[in-house]
Amino acid sequence: MAKNTNPDSGIIGIFRHLDTVCAAIEKVRVRPDFAGHEVFSPTSYHEIEHASGFGASPVRAFTLVGALTGTVTGFGLALACDWDWPIIVGGKTPGIYSLPAYVVLGFEFTILLGAIATVAGMLVMGRIPNPKRRVLDVRTTDDKFAIFLPGAQLASPQAQFLRDCGAEEVRNT
Amino acid sequence: MSDDSKLWSKTISDVNSEILVNIENPHPAYYVALAFAITTLLIGIGFVALHFTYGLGLWNFRPPVYWAVDITNFVFWVGIGHAGTLISAILFLFRAKWRNTVNRSAEAMTIFAVICALVFPLIHMGRPWHGAIWAVPLPNTNNLWVNFRSPLFWDVMAISTYFTTSLLFWYMGLVPDLASIRDRVTGFKRLVYGIMSFGWRGTSKQWWHYEAGYGFLAALATPLVLSVHSVVSWDFAMSLQPGWHTTIFPPYFVAGAILSGCAMVYNLLLPVRYMFKLEKFILPEHLESLLRLTLLTSTIVFYAYSLEFFVAWYSGNPYEWALFEKRAVGPYSFYFWVMMFCNCIFPLALWSRRVRNNIPVSFVICVLVNVGMWFERYNIILSSLVEDFVPARWGHFQPGLWEVMITLGSFGLFTTFYLVFVKFFPVVSLSEIKLIMPKPLSSKASGGAHHHG
Repeated sequence: MAKNTNPDSGIIGIFRHLDTVCAAIEKVRVRPDFAGHEVFSPTSYHEIEHASGFGASPVRAFTLVGALTGTVTGFGLALACDWDWPIIVGGKTPGIYSLPAYVVLGFEFTILLGAIATVAGMLVMGRIPNPKRRVLDVRTTDDKFAIFLPGAQLASPQAQFLRDCGAEEVRNT
Repeated sequence: MSDDSKLWSKTISDVNSEILVNIENPHPAYYVALAFAITTLLIGIGFVALHFTYGLGLWNFRPPVYWAVDITNFVFWVGIGHAGTLISAILFLFRAKWRNTVNRSAEAMTIFAVICALVFPLIHMGRPWHGAIWAVPLPNTNNLWVNFRSPLFWDVMAISTYFTTSLLFWYMGLVPDLASIRDRVTGFKRLVYGIMSFGWRGTSKQWWHYEAGYGFLAALATPLVLSVHSVVSWDFAMSLQPGWHTTIFPPYFVAGAILSGCAMVYNLLLPVRYMFKLEKFILPEHLESLLRLTLLTSTIVFYAYSLEFFVAWYSGNPYEWALFEKRAVGPYSFYFWVMMFCNCIFPLALWSRRVRNNIPVSFVICVLVNVGMWFERYNIILSSLVEDFVPARWGHFQPGLWEVMITLGSFGLFTTFYLVFVKFFPVVSLSEIKLIMPKPLSSKASGGAHHHG
């Protein structure tokens, strides 16, 4: 089989029911001839997450690093400005003695950078935006599930396997 | 699960085709509403333009009142913005299913309300183009840094963080739905929605990271919701002004904000539900839950009002007590009683299930709550300012034409934003409503007990 460079070329099996596709996912994910397959779902059903054997998402590392960077930035900004130009406000000494007043700044920066890093994490880990990939079947953002196997042919045993798992339609992409 | 199937007359296959009708075919009433909103907005813009040309003297600011209607509007709109993130973040963490039908509207409302709020401190500066320099941590001409110990600066940080986080939260929620629209339209529209959806494909891995990220955003936004109006309340509570200098302000402001926000979500959702025929998706049960939340926060606000009076009396501080006495029976008592009746007395009708299920009556109560919440802020700001520490400076304040017209303009701005939003974006979260609808199971798995459709 000639190696196709288009990552979207292969076979796709369309499923109507959540339980059918979950049973199929559990079978295909342990088969070596289904390496590199992708599952499409109209929404984030936890059943699919369980069937795929996903654990904790690495997005949490982005959130933690972003939030801690924010805490340091917030307090650091206020303290650095105090160090640059120490000024007494309301009879209160600048620097770490005014730390309670800087909690708001530290808190806001924690949330701000944490949120930005979380969104960045979702995009990076989800590999979007990626102009090279396209939508394989428009029904998967509506109400259908799908399993896609890159590089496979319609006559292959994998296509027959998808049909046996309950796919109502298997076609080339 | 069996309860859910009885509740829904629609299946997940109906969601995209029936909810996205707003993009393709809105009700004629939509255009009437939009024309009305744009007209109000243009009037507001005209008055703001005159204000920039001739200065703040056009407003009725007279010593000692320099904060009045504009700051009232600022606090009011920030308050409206609260329910959005409350519904989308806190109720998400509580796994309250009913939130999935109203969260999109509520989040959009948050974004637009915060924009309206941000307008007021800017126009109050008189020369808003300087605002960018004054409000951000840049050294000024004397090389001084901003005062990080000032509640006004905290407020800038709090509101801008809140706006950014709410925007990210709202937009991330929109991404899969924009992909759904992309897959229904053709040509140029498809390109635009494709770019806006970041090329979302809906793979299980994308959903896995998306769900995790959404949860973390909710967890980050939850303390933020409670903190923003607390920080707004410190603009007042950190001062020494009688009537403002109270420790109850943060929780009191947060409860009030959620009350007005929930009432506003109800007021916005009903016309949209009617115009786009969403009765089968935004169910009466969901609307009723919103009213229960309104009732809950109304009782908290009632408690806060009462406690404020009790503490003013019990503290033995004659200035504090004199001010509260004046609020209730003095020259501005009208505003006080409007606030009491609209926020505390009328919402008590929502204890009755019959009232909660009576949509016109509930709608009117929610409008009244918003009127009451506006007057609450007006009452707090004005009554403390007109009579401060030096009796020789005591004055009087009456809103003038500019105050009224720019306030109306802000409602025009808000409504225009909201109506444009409902025309181009899914007004109910497509991917999230599918999660609370009966799952598309095969007859084998569901034992043939459920009928979908």
